[in-house]
This record gives sequence, C-alpha cells and structure tokens, in this order.
Amino acid sequence: MRRIAIIGAAIVALSAIGFAVLAQSESDDDLVEGLSFLGEPVTVADIAAGETLYAENCASCHGAELEGQPDWRRRLDNGRMPAPPHDETGHTWHHSDRNLFIVTKGGVGAIVPGYESDMPAYEGILTDDEIADVLSYIKSTWPDRQREFQAEVTANDKGDL
Amino acid sequence: MSLGEGQEMTNRTLNFEPDRRHFLALGMGAAAVLVLPGAVLAAGRAADIRTLAFDGDTLLIAGATLRSSPDGGRSWHDRPTPSPVSSIATHPARPGRLLAGLARGGVTASDDGGTTWTARSEGLASGEVTALAVAAGNPDMIYAAIRGDGLWKTEDAGATWALAMDRPWLDAAERDPLTLASVDLETGMGGIWIYAGTEKGLVRVPDCFCRWQDVQPGNAMDALVAGDAPPAEAPLPANEPVLSLASAPSTPSILYAALPSGVWTSQDGGVVWTQTANGQGSAIAVHPSNENHVAAVLDGTLKLSRDGGATWTVLAVV
Ligand code: HEC
Repeated sequence: MRRIAIIGAAIVALSAIGFAVLAQSESDDDLVEGLSFLGEPVTVADIAAGETLYAENCASCHGAELEGQPDWRRRLDNGRMPAPPHDETGHTWHHSDRNLFIVTKGGVGAIVPGYESDMPAYEGILTDDEIADVLSYIKSTWPDRQREFQAEVTANDKGDL
Repeated sequence: MSLGEGQEMTNRTLNFEPDRRHFLALGMGAAAVLVLPGAVLAAGRAADIRTLAFDGDTLLIAGATLRSSPDGGRSWHDRPTPSPVSSIATHPARPGRLLAGLARGGVTASDDGGTTWTARSEGLASGEVTALAVAAGNPDMIYAAIRGDGLWKTEDAGATWALAMDRPWLDAAERDPLTLASVDLETGMGGIWIYAGTEKGLVRVPDCFCRWQDVQPGNAMDALVAGDAPPAEAPLPANEPVLSLASAPSTPSILYAALPSGVWTSQDGGVVWTQTANGQGSAIAVHPSNENHVAAVLDGTLKLSRDGGATWTVLAVV
C-alpha cells in the first residue's frame, strides 16, 4: 500500500490514463477497477491482504461473512451496540474512507467524542497500510449501489486525517 | 426499560391522570364554568392536547382525539381518530396527509385532513407510539418510536415497517424518544439527522441509524482530530426532559423545544439554545413555510407566536 501511496503522490499532476499506465508499469499488482481508498488505487494484492487481516482481526465480531453480530440493531445488556455487518445490510457504506479509517484506528470515540463502544482501536495493532487494506477489502464486497454511495460520501468529505 | 422518573413525568404532565390536584382543579373549573364558560372550556380542552402539528396553514391538536383549525384557531373541527393519539406528523409535500401514533399502539393515516383514517401498522411493534416524524427529504419515509422498544421506519408511507434501531442510551439506561424531528441538515454520511427528545435530554442519530449521539457542533470531529478547542455550545438545561421538538422546514437549522421550563429555540441545529418562553411547555410545532410561526402548549394552554417565540397569544379551543 505504501508503495502505491508514493506512486499516487508522484503522479497527482498526470492524466488519468497516464496515471493508470504508470501505476501498472511500476507495480506487478493488478488494480481493482472502480475501487480506491483515501484517493489511492487499490490492488488485487491489497484486497487479498485485507481479506486475511479481516479474518484474523475483525471476523470474530463483525462475522466471517461480514454479517455482523446477531440482532445487531438491539443493544446488549451493557448498553453498548453489537458489531454491525460490514456488508451492504449494515451502515458501514454510509461512512467516508476517512471516517472508516479513523474509527478503525482510533475506535468510535475518535469520531464521536465520549462514545462508549466495544469496537477496539487498532492503532498499534495494525499499521496504517494494513487498516487501509482491510477497509479496501470490505469495500470490495459491496454491490455497485453501496460503492457509488460511499464514493460520493467520500468525495464530499473534505476533512484531513 | 425500567419505569423511570421520566415515564412518570410523561404520564403526569401529558395524560392528565385524575389525581387529587386535578380533582381540585376540576372542581374549581366547575365553579368557574358558571362565570366564564368560554374561557374554562378553552383551558379544559387545551389540557388534553398531547401533541401539535401544522398541515399547511391548518393547525392540528391531538390527544384523546384530533381537532383541526384552518384559520389560526378561530374555528375548530373534530377529526375523530380510531383511538387516543400520542403523536402526529405531517409533511409539507403531502398536504392533507396526517399520520397519528396511537397511545394504545399502531399508526393510523389520513389522506383527507383527518376525515377518514386507515391503519398503517403492518410489521410495527406493539406499544404506545410516543413519537412520529416524516423524513424531511422523503414524505414516504416515516419514523416511529415505540415505548419500551425502539425506533422503527417505513419507506412506503406506513405500508410496512421495520426496526431501524434501538432506543438511545443515556445516563445508564435506554430512554424512549418522547418526540422526534427529521432535521434537514447533512450528517456527512450521505443523509440527514433525526433528533429525539428524551427524559434525559436531546440526542440525535443520522438517518443511516449508525449511532445515537449528542448534538455536536458541525466541525467537532475536525476540532478533535486537529486537537483544537471545541466550538462554543449552550445546550438545553440538563435534568429536564425534552417533551416536544420541531425543526422549521423552511429553515431546518431553526429548532424549537418544549421543556418543563418553557420553550427554547436554537438557530444552529441544536448547538446553542436560548429560552424564548417561560411556563410548563409540553408540545410545539412550527409552520411549514414560516419559521417564525410557532404553536405551543404552555401551562396547559394553546398559544401561538408569529415572531419565533418572542411574544405569544392564547388560542381558545372551543
Ligand atoms: C471486539 C469486537 C470487534 C472487533 C474485533 C472489531 N470490531 Fe468493529 N465494531 C465493533 C462494534 C461493537 C462496533 C459498533 C460500535 C457502535 O456503534 O457502538 C463496531 C463498529 C465498527 C465500524 C463502524 C461501522 C459503522 O457503520 O459505523 C467500523 C468501520 C469497524 N467496526 C471496523 C472494524 C474493523 C476494520 C475491524 C478489524 C480490523 C473491527 N472493526 C474489529 C466491534 C468490533
């Protein structure tokens, strides 16, 4: 992912075609059509890495098939919400790339101050690139409608990381 | 949920239980009828008003039943509902369509200003419909809060309902939304906000139902990330229930709230609030095209303001 980041930064001024050609020529990985994360292209290898990271780090709560915890719209007895699905039946696709990245790295409290949740903060557990890979994998599972919706939310999010 | 103080409060203030105090009041009322029939009748009716709404220029008041006034409170027409009403909702793009949440459970709808009603409760949980709201941007999307249960939604004007989310968690317990308002301000999540008043204050949820949260200034997240001081806030008074809430369709950032301390208003979507009227506030509604035109129940009396709550005139409900 970092390699891609450097490539991405280097070619900001280039045309879309030049961009794709350069990315391909500098990388053996195939780009995934129509998918980016935080403005950078995503490769098949990123997604494969993300899938493994997801199984190891996220599936225990969010489900092996991204289906979420049972009855996830209902609160647990401790007042916290269960882990929602990451597939199109959940609400992950309503959040911008930046928002998803901040939640995964810092926990939900990083976007909603004081919010208590069972979602762990992955800072220090996963690197930024690994977080990007796992979220790219999640995004790659969405149908077109959810992908397009989320791409628009991401485009409208002008905040910084 | 356990039956907390808030529920008692709701029952006491809104359901008009015949306790000793009320018997006294009724007795005094009976004596006064001989002297001032009109005034007492007006006050007596207003005490039954559980909820308010505007359908265009028509003002709706509901409780044991529903009444409407097309002329700013000069005349009133009975619009009997199938059973007592806890909550009503309308949408500017659907004139004449009234939705009523019933005290004994279920939602009923009218497409003719309340003359005829049809049940719209397929799939909805049973229990009192404490609050109803129509999505500002979609008149067929309706939200209903069910006492002791959660927040439900329909995307087909009530034909079918599905659970949207559990109730907000405030002060160590789930709290019933006593009032809901679809507030047409962007969440940054591809939609708009739904605000709820509870016995423990104001909360909101994006219409993706991602999570209940406090009202924060729009740039709170950026301030947090950047480590800046958070923007100024003046929240509603703590320790007071938010009994009724309205967002002005013509200027959605303008909110009105009815609390036991009075009527409060916000110009910025609920970050900074100021009090505009004293008295026991229990219901509020704002006109669809004039954000300064507000109806409220204050101290059990129906009142109207044409200047955003600065001055009020009493409406007789006869
Ligand atoms: C210990 C259980 C647990 C694990 C493990 C976990 N999560 Fe979560 N996650 C949650 C819970 C619970 C929530 C819901 C928090 C809330 O809203 O109260 C959540 C919410 C989220 C959200 C926000 C979704 C939305 O639409 O608001 C994202 C994004 C997320 N998790 C990503 C991840 C990723 C990526 C991983 C793995 C790297 C992961 N989570 C691992 C429990 C977990």
